[in-house]
Amino acid sequence: MSDHQLTEEEYKAQVAGVWKVTVILSIVTVVEVAAALILGPHLPKWIMNPFYAIASIAKAFFIIGEFMHLKYEKRAFMLSLGLPLFFLLWAIIAFGVEGNYLHKLLYLIK
Amino acid sequence: MAEVLEIKEHHTVHQLPTADNGEGGEKSPMNISYGKTMMWYFLLSDAFTFSAFLIAYACLRLGHKWWPNPNDVFNAMPFMGHHKIPMGFVSIMTFILIMSSVFVVRAVQEGHRMNKKGVMYWMFWGILGGAAFLGCQAWEWQHLLAEGMRPFYNVFYEGKDGLTTLWNVHEQGKPLFSPGPVAFGALFFGITGFHGFHVFTGVCLNIWGFFATANGTFEKRGHYEMIEKLGLYWHFVDLVWVFVFLAFYLM
Repeated sequence: MSDHQLTEEEYKAQVAGVWKVTVILSIVTVVEVAAALILGPHLPKWIMNPFYAIASIAKAFFIIGEFMHLKYEKRAFMLSLGLPLFFLLWAIIAFGVEGNYLHKLLYLIK
Repeated sequence: MAEVLEIKEHHTVHQLPTADNGEGGEKSPMNISYGKTMMWYFLLSDAFTFSAFLIAYACLRLGHKWWPNPNDVFNAMPFMGHHKIPMGFVSIMTFILIMSSVFVVRAVQEGHRMNKKGVMYWMFWGILGGAAFLGCQAWEWQHLLAEGMRPFYNVFYEGKDGLTTLWNVHEQGKPLFSPGPVAFGALFFGITGFHGFHVFTGVCLNIWGFFATANGTFEKRGHYEMIEKLGLYWHFVDLVWVFVFLAFYLM
Protein backbone atom coordinates (compact mmCIF):
# COMPACT_ATOMS: atom_id res chain seq x y z
CA MET A 1 0.00 0.00 0.00
CA SER A 2 1.25 3.44 -0.80
CA ASP A 3 2.31 5.64 2.08
CA HIS A 4 0.91 8.92 0.80
CA GLN A 5 -2.26 10.31 2.29
CA LEU A 6 -5.39 9.51 0.26
CA THR A 7 -7.25 12.45 -1.18
CA GLU A 8 -11.01 12.58 -0.80
CA GLU A 9 -11.51 11.81 -4.53
CA GLU A 10 -9.22 8.76 -4.44
CA TYR A 11 -11.03 7.46 -1.38
CA LYS A 12 -14.45 7.92 -3.02
CA ALA A 13 -13.22 6.18 -6.18
CA GLN A 14 -11.95 3.22 -4.14
CA VAL A 15 -15.23 2.87 -2.24
CA ALA A 16 -17.21 3.05 -5.49
CA GLY A 17 -14.90 0.40 -6.98
CA VAL A 18 -15.59 -2.00 -4.10
CA TRP A 19 -19.36 -1.65 -4.41
CA LYS A 20 -19.11 -2.15 -8.16
CA VAL A 21 -17.26 -5.45 -7.62
CA THR A 22 -19.87 -6.44 -5.03
CA VAL A 23 -22.63 -5.97 -7.61
CA ILE A 24 -20.65 -7.99 -10.20
CA LEU A 25 -20.06 -10.87 -7.75
CA SER A 26 -23.75 -10.94 -6.79
CA ILE A 27 -24.89 -10.94 -10.41
CA VAL A 28 -22.50 -13.77 -11.36
CA THR A 29 -23.74 -15.83 -8.38
CA VAL A 30 -27.39 -15.23 -9.29
CA VAL A 31 -26.69 -16.21 -12.91
CA GLU A 32 -24.93 -19.40 -11.77
CA VAL A 33 -27.81 -20.43 -9.51
CA ALA A 34 -30.43 -19.52 -12.12
CA ALA A 35 -28.56 -21.56 -14.74
CA ALA A 36 -28.34 -24.53 -12.35
CA LEU A 37 -32.10 -24.40 -11.72
CA ILE A 38 -33.40 -23.54 -15.20
CA LEU A 39 -30.87 -24.99 -17.66
CA GLY A 40 -29.25 -27.60 -15.39
CA PRO A 41 -31.93 -30.31 -15.72
CA HIS A 42 -32.07 -30.00 -19.53
CA LEU A 43 -28.48 -29.54 -20.68
CA PRO A 44 -25.72 -32.17 -20.38
CA LYS A 45 -23.10 -31.90 -17.65
CA TRP A 46 -20.25 -31.31 -20.08
CA ILE A 47 -21.82 -27.97 -21.08
CA MET A 48 -22.96 -26.85 -17.62
CA ASN A 49 -19.86 -27.75 -15.59
CA PRO A 50 -17.35 -25.74 -17.66
CA PHE A 51 -19.78 -22.81 -17.51
CA TYR A 52 -19.93 -22.98 -13.68
CA ALA A 53 -16.14 -23.37 -13.50
CA ILE A 54 -15.49 -20.32 -15.71
CA ALA A 55 -18.00 -18.21 -13.75
CA SER A 56 -16.38 -19.24 -10.45
CA ILE A 57 -12.88 -18.48 -11.71
CA ALA A 58 -14.13 -15.05 -12.84
CA LYS A 59 -15.47 -14.47 -9.32
CA ALA A 60 -12.11 -15.57 -7.89
CA PHE A 61 -10.30 -13.03 -10.09
CA PHE A 62 -12.51 -10.22 -8.82
CA ILE A 63 -12.06 -11.23 -5.16
CA ILE A 64 -8.27 -11.60 -5.46
CA GLY A 65 -7.77 -8.52 -7.64
CA GLU A 66 -10.03 -6.01 -5.96
CA PHE A 67 -10.79 -7.22 -2.42
CA MET A 68 -7.35 -8.66 -1.72
CA HIS A 69 -5.81 -5.76 -3.64
CA LEU A 70 -3.44 -7.95 -5.68
CA LYS A 71 -4.21 -5.93 -8.82
CA TYR A 72 -2.30 -3.02 -7.32
CA GLU A 73 0.79 -4.97 -6.17
CA LYS A 74 4.06 -5.43 -8.07
CA ARG A 75 4.02 -7.76 -11.05
CA ALA A 76 6.77 -9.96 -9.58
CA PHE A 77 4.64 -10.51 -6.47
CA MET A 78 1.60 -11.40 -8.58
CA LEU A 79 3.66 -13.96 -10.49
CA SER A 80 5.11 -15.49 -7.32
CA LEU A 81 1.53 -16.35 -6.30
CA GLY A 82 0.06 -16.96 -9.74
CA LEU A 83 2.58 -19.43 -11.15
CA PRO A 84 2.21 -22.04 -8.35
CA LEU A 85 -1.56 -21.77 -8.75
CA PHE A 86 -1.21 -22.34 -12.49
CA PHE A 87 0.54 -25.67 -11.86
CA LEU A 88 -2.15 -26.50 -9.31
CA LEU A 89 -4.79 -25.98 -11.99
CA TRP A 90 -2.94 -28.51 -14.11
CA ALA A 91 -2.98 -31.01 -11.20
CA ILE A 92 -6.75 -30.58 -10.78
CA ILE A 93 -7.37 -31.25 -14.48
CA ALA A 94 -4.95 -34.23 -14.49
CA PHE A 95 -6.65 -35.89 -11.51
CA GLY A 96 -10.08 -35.24 -12.99
CA VAL A 97 -9.02 -37.03 -16.18
CA GLU A 98 -7.64 -39.89 -14.06
CA GLY A 99 -10.93 -40.21 -12.17
CA ASN A 100 -12.85 -40.27 -15.44
CA TYR A 101 -10.57 -43.03 -16.74
CA LEU A 102 -11.16 -45.03 -13.55
CA HIS A 103 -14.89 -44.66 -14.13
CA LYS A 104 -14.58 -46.01 -17.69
CA LEU A 105 -12.35 -48.85 -16.56
CA LEU A 106 -14.74 -49.97 -13.82
CA TYR A 107 -18.14 -49.52 -15.41
CA LEU A 108 -18.00 -49.02 -19.15
CA ILE A 109 -15.51 -51.59 -20.51
CA LYS A 110 -16.92 -55.06 -20.31
CA MET B 1 4.00 15.84 12.26
CA ALA B 2 4.42 13.53 15.24
CA GLU B 3 2.23 10.98 13.47
CA VAL B 4 4.34 11.05 10.33
CA LEU B 5 7.50 10.46 12.36
CA GLU B 6 5.88 7.46 14.03
CA ILE B 7 5.01 5.88 10.67
CA LYS B 8 8.59 6.30 9.46
CA GLU B 9 9.95 4.76 12.64
CA HIS B 10 7.71 1.75 12.27
CA HIS B 11 8.89 1.02 8.75
CA THR B 12 12.54 1.01 9.79
CA VAL B 13 11.78 -1.33 12.72
CA HIS B 14 10.18 -3.90 10.46
CA GLN B 15 12.93 -4.01 7.85
CA LEU B 16 15.75 -6.48 8.20
CA PRO B 17 19.06 -4.82 9.02
CA THR B 18 20.99 -4.70 5.76
CA ALA B 19 24.15 -2.85 4.85
CA ASP B 20 23.84 -0.27 2.11
CA ASN B 21 26.51 -1.94 0.03
CA GLY B 22 25.12 -0.99 -3.34
CA GLU B 23 23.60 -4.43 -4.01
CA GLY B 24 20.05 -3.27 -3.48
CA GLY B 25 19.34 -5.44 -0.45
CA GLU B 26 18.30 -2.48 1.65
CA LYS B 27 15.14 -2.00 -0.39
CA SER B 28 12.07 -4.28 -0.43
CA PRO B 29 11.91 -5.46 -4.07
CA MET B 30 8.19 -6.27 -4.03
CA ASN B 31 7.27 -2.98 -2.32
CA ILE B 32 5.03 -4.87 0.13
CA SER B 33 5.52 -5.24 3.88
CA TYR B 34 6.93 -8.39 5.45
CA GLY B 35 3.72 -9.17 7.34
CA LYS B 36 1.48 -8.95 4.28
CA THR B 37 3.92 -10.99 2.16
CA MET B 38 3.92 -13.78 4.72
CA MET B 39 0.13 -13.71 5.00
CA TRP B 40 -0.05 -14.11 1.20
CA TYR B 41 2.32 -17.07 1.21
CA PHE B 42 0.45 -18.68 4.09
CA LEU B 43 -2.74 -18.31 2.07
CA LEU B 44 -0.99 -19.87 -0.95
CA SER B 45 -0.06 -22.90 1.18
CA ASP B 46 -3.64 -23.05 2.48
CA ALA B 47 -4.86 -22.98 -1.12
CA PHE B 48 -2.73 -26.12 -1.71
CA THR B 49 -4.43 -27.85 1.22
CA PHE B 50 -7.90 -27.02 -0.03
CA SER B 51 -6.94 -28.02 -3.57
CA ALA B 52 -5.77 -31.41 -2.29
CA PHE B 53 -9.22 -31.95 -0.79
CA LEU B 54 -10.99 -30.76 -3.93
CA ILE B 55 -8.76 -32.94 -6.12
CA ALA B 56 -9.72 -35.95 -3.98
CA TYR B 57 -13.36 -34.93 -4.35
CA ALA B 58 -13.13 -34.59 -8.15
CA CYS B 59 -11.26 -37.86 -8.55
CA LEU B 60 -13.63 -39.89 -6.33
CA ARG B 61 -16.76 -38.32 -7.75
CA LEU B 62 -15.75 -38.87 -11.38
CA GLY B 63 -14.61 -42.41 -10.58
CA HIS B 64 -18.01 -43.40 -9.20
CA LYS B 65 -20.75 -44.93 -11.28
CA TRP B 66 -23.38 -42.69 -9.74
CA TRP B 67 -23.30 -39.65 -7.46
CA PRO B 68 -26.15 -37.92 -5.55
CA ASN B 69 -27.60 -34.88 -7.36
CA PRO B 70 -26.92 -31.78 -5.21
CA ASN B 71 -30.28 -30.25 -6.21
CA ASP B 72 -32.02 -33.18 -4.50
CA VAL B 73 -29.76 -33.33 -1.45
CA PHE B 74 -29.42 -29.66 -0.52
CA ASN B 75 -32.98 -28.42 -0.93
CA ALA B 76 -34.10 -27.66 2.63
CA MET B 77 -34.74 -24.18 3.96
CA PRO B 78 -35.23 -23.11 7.58
CA PHE B 79 -38.82 -22.15 8.55
CA MET B 80 -40.15 -23.63 5.30
CA GLY B 81 -41.05 -27.07 6.64
CA HIS B 82 -41.07 -29.70 3.90
CA HIS B 83 -41.06 -27.31 0.94
CA LYS B 84 -38.23 -28.20 -1.36
CA ILE B 85 -36.16 -25.23 -2.51
CA PRO B 86 -33.10 -26.49 -4.38
CA MET B 87 -30.04 -24.25 -3.94
CA GLY B 88 -32.08 -21.68 -1.96
CA PHE B 89 -30.40 -21.84 1.42
CA VAL B 90 -26.88 -22.25 0.09
CA SER B 91 -27.32 -19.21 -2.19
CA ILE B 92 -28.22 -17.15 0.88
CA MET B 93 -25.11 -18.47 2.65
CA THR B 94 -22.94 -17.51 -0.34
CA PHE B 95 -24.42 -14.03 -0.39
CA ILE B 96 -23.87 -13.59 3.37
CA LEU B 97 -20.19 -14.51 3.03
CA ILE B 98 -19.65 -12.20 0.03
CA MET B 99 -21.26 -9.30 1.90
CA SER B 100 -19.17 -10.02 5.00
CA SER B 101 -16.07 -9.88 2.81
CA VAL B 102 -17.19 -6.52 1.38
CA PHE B 103 -17.68 -5.11 4.89
CA VAL B 104 -14.12 -6.06 5.82
CA VAL B 105 -12.81 -4.39 2.62
CA ARG B 106 -14.57 -1.24 3.78
CA ALA B 107 -12.90 -1.59 7.21
CA VAL B 108 -9.49 -1.80 5.49
CA GLN B 109 -10.27 1.34 3.46
CA GLU B 110 -11.28 3.23 6.57
CA GLY B 111 -8.04 2.03 8.15
CA HIS B 112 -6.06 3.75 5.39
CA ARG B 113 -7.75 6.99 6.41
CA MET B 114 -6.97 6.34 10.11
CA ASN B 115 -10.71 6.42 10.79
CA LYS B 116 -11.00 4.36 14.00
CA LYS B 117 -14.80 4.58 14.25
CA GLY B 118 -15.17 3.55 10.59
CA VAL B 119 -12.93 0.51 11.06
CA MET B 120 -14.92 -0.58 14.11
CA TYR B 121 -18.24 -0.06 12.35
CA TRP B 122 -17.36 -2.17 9.29
CA MET B 123 -15.49 -4.83 11.28
CA PHE B 124 -18.61 -5.24 13.41
CA TRP B 125 -20.71 -5.99 10.32
CA GLY B 126 -18.02 -8.28 8.95
CA ILE B 127 -17.98 -10.30 12.18
CA LEU B 128 -21.78 -10.46 12.19
CA GLY B 129 -21.75 -11.81 8.61
CA GLY B 130 -19.21 -14.48 9.50
CA ALA B 131 -21.21 -15.55 12.55
CA ALA B 132 -24.40 -15.68 10.46
CA PHE B 133 -22.65 -17.92 7.93
CA LEU B 134 -21.51 -20.28 10.70
CA GLY B 135 -25.08 -20.40 12.03
CA CYS B 136 -26.39 -21.30 8.55
CA GLN B 137 -23.79 -24.03 8.20
CA ALA B 138 -24.69 -25.44 11.62
CA TRP B 139 -28.34 -25.58 10.55
CA GLU B 140 -27.49 -27.31 7.28
CA TRP B 141 -25.29 -29.90 9.00
CA GLN B 142 -27.95 -30.53 11.62
CA HIS B 143 -30.55 -31.03 8.90
CA LEU B 144 -28.40 -33.57 7.02
CA LEU B 145 -27.49 -35.42 10.24
CA ALA B 146 -31.19 -35.63 11.12
CA GLU B 147 -31.82 -37.21 7.68
CA GLY B 148 -29.35 -39.92 8.66
CA MET B 149 -26.24 -38.62 6.84
CA ARG B 150 -22.97 -39.44 8.59
CA PRO B 151 -19.33 -38.94 7.55
CA PHE B 152 -19.15 -42.65 6.67
CA TYR B 153 -22.78 -43.35 5.92
CA ASN B 154 -24.72 -41.94 2.99
CA VAL B 155 -28.51 -42.19 2.85
CA PHE B 156 -28.86 -40.73 -0.67
CA TYR B 157 -28.87 -43.67 -3.08
CA GLU B 158 -29.58 -44.34 -6.75
CA GLY B 159 -33.33 -44.81 -7.09
CA LYS B 160 -35.43 -45.39 -10.21
CA ASP B 161 -33.91 -43.92 -13.41
CA GLY B 162 -30.84 -42.78 -11.48
CA LEU B 163 -32.89 -40.30 -9.43
CA THR B 164 -31.47 -39.29 -6.06
CA THR B 165 -33.61 -40.97 -3.41
CA LEU B 166 -33.49 -40.58 0.34
CA TRP B 167 -33.32 -43.81 2.35
CA ASN B 168 -35.53 -43.07 5.35
CA VAL B 169 -33.52 -44.57 8.20
CA HIS B 170 -36.29 -43.79 10.70
CA GLU B 171 -38.89 -45.92 8.86
CA GLN B 172 -36.91 -48.35 6.72
CA GLY B 173 -34.22 -49.11 9.30
CA LYS B 174 -30.49 -48.75 8.86
CA PRO B 175 -28.82 -51.22 6.49
CA LEU B 176 -25.35 -52.45 7.42
CA PHE B 177 -23.94 -51.07 4.19
CA SER B 178 -24.38 -47.43 3.26
CA PRO B 179 -27.21 -47.15 0.65
CA GLY B 180 -25.34 -44.51 -1.41
CA PRO B 181 -21.65 -43.79 -2.20
CA VAL B 182 -19.88 -43.61 1.19
CA ALA B 183 -17.32 -41.02 0.07
CA PHE B 184 -20.07 -38.42 -0.39
CA GLY B 185 -20.56 -37.97 3.37
CA ALA B 186 -16.87 -37.98 4.24
CA LEU B 187 -16.04 -35.44 1.52
CA PHE B 188 -18.99 -33.18 2.29
CA PHE B 189 -18.49 -33.04 6.05
CA GLY B 190 -14.71 -33.00 5.70
CA ILE B 191 -14.43 -30.16 3.20
CA THR B 192 -17.28 -27.93 4.42
CA GLY B 193 -16.08 -28.63 7.98
CA PHE B 194 -12.52 -27.58 7.16
CA HIS B 195 -13.86 -24.46 5.49
CA GLY B 196 -16.16 -23.78 8.47
CA PHE B 197 -13.16 -24.13 10.76
CA HIS B 198 -11.43 -21.41 8.71
CA VAL B 199 -14.53 -19.21 9.00
CA PHE B 200 -14.57 -19.78 12.76
CA THR B 201 -10.87 -18.88 13.05
CA GLY B 202 -11.47 -15.78 10.91
CA VAL B 203 -14.38 -14.65 13.09
CA CYS B 204 -12.24 -15.08 16.23
CA LEU B 205 -9.36 -13.08 14.66
CA ASN B 206 -11.75 -10.38 13.47
CA ILE B 207 -13.25 -10.08 16.96
CA TRP B 208 -9.72 -9.61 18.29
CA GLY B 209 -9.11 -6.99 15.57
CA PHE B 210 -12.29 -5.18 16.54
CA PHE B 211 -11.29 -4.93 20.20
CA ALA B 212 -7.70 -4.00 19.38
CA THR B 213 -9.08 -1.18 17.22
CA ALA B 214 -11.41 -0.08 20.02
CA ASN B 215 -8.42 -0.17 22.36
CA GLY B 216 -6.52 2.21 20.09
CA THR B 217 -3.68 -0.28 19.51
CA PHE B 218 -3.45 0.43 15.78
CA GLU B 219 -3.98 4.15 16.21
CA LYS B 220 -0.94 4.27 18.50
CA ARG B 221 1.00 2.20 15.97
CA GLY B 222 0.17 4.78 13.33
CA HIS B 223 -1.30 2.37 10.77
CA TYR B 224 -3.98 -0.29 10.39
CA GLU B 225 -1.89 -2.92 8.61
CA MET B 226 -3.13 -5.62 10.98
CA ILE B 227 -6.68 -5.02 9.72
CA GLU B 228 -5.35 -5.46 6.17
CA LYS B 229 -3.81 -8.82 7.11
CA LEU B 230 -7.02 -9.95 8.81
CA GLY B 231 -8.84 -8.79 5.68
CA LEU B 232 -6.58 -10.90 3.42
CA TYR B 233 -7.37 -14.00 5.48
CA TRP B 234 -11.08 -13.21 5.49
CA HIS B 235 -11.25 -12.74 1.70
CA PHE B 236 -9.40 -16.02 1.25
CA VAL B 237 -12.14 -17.77 3.26
CA ASP B 238 -14.69 -16.21 0.89
CA LEU B 239 -12.58 -17.28 -2.09
CA VAL B 240 -12.47 -20.90 -0.93
CA TRP B 241 -16.23 -20.88 -0.47
CA VAL B 242 -16.60 -19.90 -4.16
CA PHE B 243 -14.93 -23.21 -5.07
CA VAL B 244 -16.66 -25.29 -2.39
CA PHE B 245 -19.95 -23.89 -3.71
CA LEU B 246 -18.88 -24.82 -7.24
CA ALA B 247 -17.77 -28.36 -6.39
CA PHE B 248 -20.54 -29.39 -4.00
CA TYR B 249 -23.64 -27.45 -5.00
CA LEU B 250 -23.37 -26.37 -8.64
CA MET B 251 -21.64 -29.25 -10.41
